[in-house]
Amino acid sequence: MTTWAEKYRPIYFEDIRGQEEAVAKIKDFIKNFHLKKRAIILYGPTGTGKTALAYAAAKETNSEIFELNASNLRNKEKLKETLKPAIEQQALLKKGKIILIDEVDWVLGEDRGGIQELSELIEISEYPMILTANDAWTKKLTPLRKKCEIIEVKNLDYKIVKDVLIKILRKEKKFIDNKILTEIAVKTKGDLRAAINDAQTISKLSSEEQIKTLFDERNKEENILDALKKIFKLKATNETLRAFDQLDIKTDEIILWVEKNIPLEYRDEKLAKAYELLSETDIFNGRIYHQQYWRFLVYENIFLSYGMASLNKENKTNFTKYKKPTRVLKIWMNNLKIAKKKTISEKYAKHSHISIKKAMKEFPIIKQLINSNPKIPEELDLDEDEMAYLKA
Amino acid sequence: MDKEIDHDSSIWTEKYRPKEFSEVFGQNDIIKRVESLTKAMNIPHLLFAGPAGVGKSTLALVVVKELFKNTWRENYLELNASDERGINVVREKVKNFARTKSLGKVPFKIIFLDEADALTPEAQQALRRIMENYSSGCRFILSCNYSSKIIDPIQSRCAIFRFKLLEKKDIEKVLQKIAKNENLTMHPDVLEIIYEGSEGDCRRSINLLQSTAAISPSINPDLVSTMIANTKPKDIRVVLDYALAGDFENSREKLLDLMLKESISGQDVVKAIQKEIWNLAIEPEIKVKLTEKTGEIEFRITEGSDPFIQLQSLLASFVLAGLGKK
Repeated sequence: MTTWAEKYRPIYFEDIRGQEEAVAKIKDFIKNFHLKKRAIILYGPTGTGKTALAYAAAKETNSEIFELNASNLRNKEKLKETLKPAIEQQALLKKGKIILIDEVDWVLGEDRGGIQELSELIEISEYPMILTANDAWTKKLTPLRKKCEIIEVKNLDYKIVKDVLIKILRKEKKFIDNKILTEIAVKTKGDLRAAINDAQTISKLSSEEQIKTLFDERNKEENILDALKKIFKLKATNETLRAFDQLDIKTDEIILWVEKNIPLEYRDEKLAKAYELLSETDIFNGRIYHQQYWRFLVYENIFLSYGMASLNKENKTNFTKYKKPTRVLKIWMNNLKIAKKKTISEKYAKHSHISIKKAMKEFPIIKQLINSNPKIPEELDLDEDEMAYLKA
Repeated sequence: MDKEIDHDSSIWTEKYRPKEFSEVFGQNDIIKRVESLTKAMNIPHLLFAGPAGVGKSTLALVVVKELFKNTWRENYLELNASDERGINVVREKVKNFARTKSLGKVPFKIIFLDEADALTPEAQQALRRIMENYSSGCRFILSCNYSSKIIDPIQSRCAIFRFKLLEKKDIEKVLQKIAKNENLTMHPDVLEIIYEGSEGDCRRSINLLQSTAAISPSINPDLVSTMIANTKPKDIRVVLDYALAGDFENSREKLLDLMLKESISGQDVVKAIQKEIWNLAIEPEIKVKLTEKTGEIEFRITEGSDPFIQLQSLLASFVLAGLGKK
């Protein structure tokens, strides 16, 4: 059985939703391949269509595709051996070719030599090369950035995600309750592939079971609420160290739950002490991130469990209604919202000789200004979406 | 009609942007010196230092238009250091631009790099090399707020011009001219309010005037004051006030809103808090303690992974300060 994500994988550019800008840039790149750079980096979050864009580019130009990814390039020493024959011109070959290196940051990530080698190979490639990555601006990709045009693949709006899901469900003649559909679209935060997978799993269930899945989600919540009670209400014992062990959620998420609920439980001095612990937890989190040294998780876990409980001089019996963390969702929603603010600021900044940063800072007055005269949006070449944002 | 007015633009800052040296108000000495360099057709690299909205970009544009007349667009590249993704992007753009020779009788092209002080000292070293490599075909005009943030080797290669904050009478001349042309009537107190509200920034002053004029062509002090209040960026004070009053939850809620709405980073928040401490009505000893904590948090943000958690820890200290505790 094929997954829906496979079955409905976009084939042509027009099938790819929400990436008009990237599509235009890719078309331009393929067309002017010999005049400009020989490679592009498509970067953006998982499941937004980077690989699909590369395949669509091949389809649209009637080219074949040569793909390197984490699974077919096990041995990094073989990079040159594998890639070199593919990038050399073969006179007999009539058909065009596109070289795709998927998830370049993972394939060659830790290995500086590999990146260097690849950037040398780009120089001599006879065919357009498309590299994909989650983040094009990490230090390790520096040598590649000079050789490549960099194209952003945007995070998808949840409305687009929901729209795609509805279309697939219609074709499959399946049904998912509208509420659950919205929840899937919002929860997957712009990762369309994850959303399609979730929808496929849930669509197999009867409508009673669909509702039960929602409950499972809530069960998970029950468990974290229990754990919060252990650390916020009870005196610290060695048992407390295992408060989060049974939970099937990541430390980052635990931190968010603790962060949200500290002020419901502690005031004044204890509040300050609790945040001091959380602040230290975050420092270790930063160190894990910077050094990839995962053992630091042990300390995070101790601060979050035993550390928090150590603030309780005795067991408390009062009831506290803990709240769900909302910050990440808020940030994500905001990013979607300010995307337009940013493009408007870009247009104004260029026109009026100031920096985009400054335009963003002075946005309230710029908004007033643009709204003051219908000729101004025209002069700045604002599109409908941008106008709608300004009027809202 | 004045010939210098750009009737193609509906944005007054552009419509009335000076196109010749004689039209620039204020900065008289600088104008004279730059004009004589320009007329001699041989300008060195220039460094324009001074606050926002006093005419740095405008003067650069005047120089370019004077030099190249109708072909100025082909011979002029404007970059903004604070928007570019690192010095390599700058180098790449300069390289592409410098690849072709200048058109016309001027033997060089002009690159204007705005907000050059946004570059780190290391990036400025790289910029210095770029300036040297392309100096045969390009002249650089750099602009910055403070020349002290520009490394010495660059300063020594440039003729430096220090722009003063525009005086009230200069802004007045600009606004009067626009008002006359756009058939506005201005209450005499309006100028003072706009000047204060825009902190001497000419571009902001004009934007304020235009936004207000859209409501009514007869501009009175109330109208302008309302416009200023509505468009003022939200500030950090309300966040601290909630914390000092012991309302931690509202304090952090306001902080998140502020950071999201104004798109400011954790580091910028720390900076703003550090400055605001001195305006708070608390004991000197506590001010010092809070500053110490603020510094520690600024450090932890660079070490940690989630600035908002660090900032909450800082706000918790303000709750304690509100209780008179250290």
